[in-house]
Amino acid sequence: MLTPYDFQENISQRAQYIEQRLREGSPVIGISFTDGLLLFSLKRRGRKVYEIYDQLMFSAIGNQSDIETMRLAAIDFTHKEGYARSPDDVTIQRVVGSALSPALKKGFGDAMTTPFVMRSIFAELGPQPERDLFYVLNYDGEFFQQERFAVVGGSYQAEDSAIKSLEDAYGKKVPTFEKSLPLAIIAWGIAREAAVGEGLAGVSEERARQRVREEVESASLEVGVLERNTTKESRFRLVPHETLEKYLQHL
Amino acid sequence: MTNTNTNGDFSRLIAEHRAALPMSESLSSHAYVSEGMAPHAPLEVHGTTVIAMKFKGGVLNVGDRRATAANAIMYDRADKIIPLDDHTLVAIAGAYGRAIEVTRYLKHAFKYYLRSQLQPMSLDGKLQEISRALAGNLPNAMSGIGLFIPVLSAYDPDMDTGRIFFYDASGARFETQEFAAAGSGSERIRGVFEYLIKTKGPFSEQPLEEVLQDGLRLLEIAADLDSATGGYEKILPTARAVDAGGVREVSEETLRNLIKKMNQAK
Repeated sequence: MLTPYDFQENISQRAQYIEQRLREGSPVIGISFTDGLLLFSLKRRGRKVYEIYDQLMFSAIGNQSDIETMRLAAIDFTHKEGYARSPDDVTIQRVVGSALSPALKKGFGDAMTTPFVMRSIFAELGPQPERDLFYVLNYDGEFFQQERFAVVGGSYQAEDSAIKSLEDAYGKKVPTFEKSLPLAIIAWGIAREAAVGEGLAGVSEERARQRVREEVESASLEVGVLERNTTKESRFRLVPHETLEKYLQHL
Repeated sequence: MTNTNTNGDFSRLIAEHRAALPMSESLSSHAYVSEGMAPHAPLEVHGTTVIAMKFKGGVLNVGDRRATAANAIMYDRADKIIPLDDHTLVAIAGAYGRAIEVTRYLKHAFKYYLRSQLQPMSLDGKLQEISRALAGNLPNAMSGIGLFIPVLSAYDPDMDTGRIFFYDASGARFETQEFAAAGSGSERIRGVFEYLIKTKGPFSEQPLEEVLQDGLRLLEIAADLDSATGGYEKILPTARAVDAGGVREVSEETLRNLIKKMNQAK
């Protein structure tokens, strides 16, 4: 029989197990810019940034099959809701808050199941940049909302470092796509270095650049964008490799 | 997290969640129709003319904006040329409500497949999905309510050309070489298409502007001969094109200028 002590121990062991495995994951940076919203990451294999619904994007670090399960659950929920009611009723709050978070929490607390190894980021495009939203959803079902930018990384401390760099760099004026991508690259370098690098006491911008330069040798950039002003049916696009190459040359 | 693996099939997703499918809607909800009311009027919103014509590299769709019920003009701003995604256009004639519901279903079905399977549904897959929706709608069509006929236009990247398909009410699909038209005015202008092709050559070899001008003329003739078809003088028709660059709307300004030019030439 499980005693309260066992319960607590079990929960913390699960958390420890998950966080250990998340540490190596490639961080994801979300930034809201004038004409849209982007999710940025480096990928070794496979896709990393996904379209969920007309105005929703998703990315995560963690176990690939857990990410896939979460992605499909989000797609199922949004399309069912968007068809039964209206696409306007599909909001990030409903997807993350009502559909996904309680299910994650339940799985995490159940000692008989394997926990989800994943920290995910959802992004919702608004009519203006001020109304863009990011939700970061943790493996235990906890989630919080962020505006302007958001980060998921290999550790909480890595995320904090990257967020701090974005806070300093983002400024008061909403940046353009061209200005926001370099911010995302640096923030990624900081988050990555803080999670797997040696220096724990803050990461310099130069060290972050160095980290990106090293890792890009064996990985490629992936940037998913939701376009704010378009007459097209689909707002989502993956930024082509040639465009991204430019930004790496000046790194 | 309960995942039902639908393999991208949207109809399975909504069936498993007991949401109403557009094509399986029970007829009993329309029972009042058979009780004393003629099945075709005044519920039917039917007459129209929609035209799909190829041009060099793509397909142009033109449709009037009139929606009628029996001999009343109910609405003069109906949009009957609807993009299903960025590479597919559908022009609808027939019961407007059912048609809109089915296009809403198709849009979601295509998007759902693309997003869940991480690859776009093939053109043939899309055509099949439309057949399925029409076959499901057949009981409605047979009972005199909800009959509609879609004309599908798409850009085929493998063949680098526009393609046009039309359907009958039971979901049978036919591909045409140069043009297709549907609605009450379409039969009356069929000979004009043939005449244009015989005298000017195939539409598929002419530039968009040339074909657009012919399309507007055809619509004007249909409006002259068919009371349920609105022309272009009072309210501008809808015109959309699909080619390698995707679906785009022909701007009001372009239409207005072209109509002005045509009127001056008269």
